[in-house]
Amino acid sequence: MSSTTHHRKRDIFVEGAIPPSFIAESIAKHATRTDIGAHEIFLGQVRSDAAVATVDRPSADDARMDDRPAVAVVTAIEYTAYRDMANEQMILIRDEAFARWPEMTCLHVHHSQGVIKTGELCFMVFASAHHRQQAREAVAYVTDQVKKRLPIFGKEILSDTTHVWKRNR
Amino acid sequence: MDVLLFGMIAEKAGAATITVEATSIVELRRKLEDRIPGLERLSFAIAVDRQVVHDDRALAGTEEIAVLPPFAGG
Repeated sequence: MSSTTHHRKRDIFVEGAIPPSFIAESIAKHATRTDIGAHEIFLGQVRSDAAVATVDRPSADDARMDDRPAVAVVTAIEYTAYRDMANEQMILIRDEAFARWPEMTCLHVHHSQGVIKTGELCFMVFASAHHRQQAREAVAYVTDQVKKRLPIFGKEILSDTTHVWKRNR
Repeated sequence: MDVLLFGMIAEKAGAATITVEATSIVELRRKLEDRIPGLERLSFAIAVDRQVVHDDRALAGTEEIAVLPPFAGG
């Protein structure tokens, strides 16, 4: 574990979906780190939520507050971000995680920008540690903090070509 | 000062930046609500130099200001 490892990746954003092969390659890169005994990975996938059709409105921020039945589904999410702030927040979260789980050997976080279709991967948190508990707890913490603190915005594109803005609960 | 806009707020404003003169956060919020239709009905945060601010404070005009709608990462 070294401080250079923590800050090696300064920009977490990737254009488009995260290919499954990228995750396999990320795992493979750790084969030389024989001090690692556990990997833990969280992957976020774009889900086809039902939403309310809003053919008469090009924008429907509050469509889900309606009582009308769900007749359109999410087909993709277009992610945008306040990239400089998001990357700064990520450095803070990373430092917090290494302080809380000092046996973690490395932490990799990637988030998509652009249009990600349902079924594609948009978010990866990958922690490695000597033992499983540190990796597990760190991934849960980092995943939650990224959702809460990083200024990332998601436009859910619906099957009727309208859209709603996603918000994390 | 140029204010950065994101997500649904950029959509409402029809622009990624807006020029507003304000000497405090409270004044900035009021002027933004005057300029961007429907903004007063949305929940949004103000970031100063890439940190969300919760209380009023003076602005020198040299800060990097951003208006942030609800986060949706992950």
